[in-house]
Amino acid sequence: MSDYVQAPEQDVVISSRVRLSRNYDDLPFSPKLTREYAEEVIDRTADAVFNGKNGDAYTLFRMSDMEQDARARLVEHHLISYDLLKYVNRSAAMISSAGTITVMLNEEDHVRFQGMLPGLQLERSADMAIRLDDQVSAQYPFAFDSQLGYLTAYPANVGTGMRCSVVMHLPALASAGQIGTVMQAVAKLGLTIRGLYGDGSEARGHLYQVSNQATLGRSEEDVVHSLAAAVEQIVEHERTMRENAEKKDMLSLQDRLLRSWGELMYARIMPIDEFMRRYSDIRYAASMGYLHAPLPGLDVIMMDVQPGSLGVRAGKLIGEREAEILRAKTLREELGKLVMD
Amino acid sequence: MMCDECGIREAKFHLTTIKNDERSERRLCPVCMAKYQKQLPGLDFTDLAGIINNMLSNIRGSREEAQETEAWSELICEQCGTTYAEFRKSGMVGCANCYSAFREPLDSLLQRIHGNTQHTGRIPGAVRKGVSLRMNIDRLREQLNKAVAQEEYEQAAKLRDAIRTLTAQLNNADANGDIKVRPHQRLDSQFGEGGENHV
Ligand SMILES: [Zn+2]
Ligand SMILES: [Zn+2]
Repeated sequence: MSDYVQAPEQDVVISSRVRLSRNYDDLPFSPKLTREYAEEVIDRTADAVFNGKNGDAYTLFRMSDMEQDARARLVEHHLISYDLLKYVNRSAAMISSAGTITVMLNEEDHVRFQGMLPGLQLERSADMAIRLDDQVSAQYPFAFDSQLGYLTAYPANVGTGMRCSVVMHLPALASAGQIGTVMQAVAKLGLTIRGLYGDGSEARGHLYQVSNQATLGRSEEDVVHSLAAAVEQIVEHERTMRENAEKKDMLSLQDRLLRSWGELMYARIMPIDEFMRRYSDIRYAASMGYLHAPLPGLDVIMMDVQPGSLGVRAGKLIGEREAEILRAKTLREELGKLVMD
Repeated sequence: MMCDECGIREAKFHLTTIKNDERSERRLCPVCMAKYQKQLPGLDFTDLAGIINNMLSNIRGSREEAQETEAWSELICEQCGTTYAEFRKSGMVGCANCYSAFREPLDSLLQRIHGNTQHTGRIPGAVRKGVSLRMNIDRLREQLNKAVAQEEYEQAAKLRDAIRTLTAQLNNADANGDIKVRPHQRLDSQFGEGGENHV
């Protein structure tokens, strides 16, 4: 149990992620990318990454070589983007053994460097991506223009080519109907917030993703700091709402949240929608100290019982019913281990 | 929410297709999404394309001179062969040179998307030669003078910030001495045929 170290602001922030979009300046971009050039993208990047610092920590996955569930599992664990699977015939990913760094290849852009860490750690995530960008570009230059910055397939990403996002758990704000207010506030700062799975107050598991929008005209530092500052404010807001709910009627709050623990520990069939609701409850309960389960562990289990990951666990393609049964079984085992101490 | 196609897996994708201005949306699981992709390799999955298309239409609509718009439709990138019509349709450029080829429509588009047309972030080592930086600073200074003369103070303030950032980068680059010059490798002239082989 003590394997898990709590990351900054993890009571409210699940993870931080920074992606840098890059394209080799002498190769055609996505719409004109032939198989041959796509291979060249993979060769160059693999050469620079494997032969660089900690090169042997990376594994190269070609999407066309992977089973569908295995690809879905990578998406569910946020190791690759959904968009990478739009181009399965040519796309690949290099993933570090710790899962904190991914290099996506032949998605919308030739290369997307991703740094990802639990909790609110945008700056460190950005550092990881930038270091790798430096390492690769020292060998193979990326398309860059002194006015427009890094050139990308979509004009919406030119400039820094940087997209930062933070996944937040906002159950108290959501049940108080405050997500709309938060959305309006972040929009004024040039940020967006949307449900990680589904939108608005209906967002599954009360998980929301806050990201920067514009990439041109602001420095990386500026974007990282202003996003982090906005997230800190939302964190404070969420904590206040949680405290208020506790002050109002702690026993009812505990009763409502902890019942979900009972359901998850004893259910035999667990549909994904219900699971996400219950997960939100027990995460909320754990953050309030009503339940002694480490938050990082809960988040890992949450990803592990998503459909693709369950398919990988089953070792074969499974239907919805089978998945619901396997989900219930996995939850009983894994949650049990988590609180055993 | 289950997949519209198979109904047994969780939907993970919003597939938006725009055909002849007709928009259709489906929710798909990763498995069905992959199937779709195989069936229709040329299919454009991105919503962004539609957004950019609309933006370009709006820009066009607000143009006083239809002639200028017509001139845009003649634009073509000599490096990769992308036409303006292709760019409008997909919302994507075909290569680095497209940014020069479609400069004019792109400038208005970028202003709309980012509220800005000047990069102020990191600069790759190979470009930190200072030369392009200095040229850029000079160009921005000219624009600043113009903005001040026309009493566009908001724009002037933005330009001043941009100049400050670039000057700091220039000083940093000089101080670190990390000015690596590496000639850009370009393929002979064009990107070759390719046409059929698109992935
Ligand atoms: Zn499906
Ligand atoms: Zn081009």
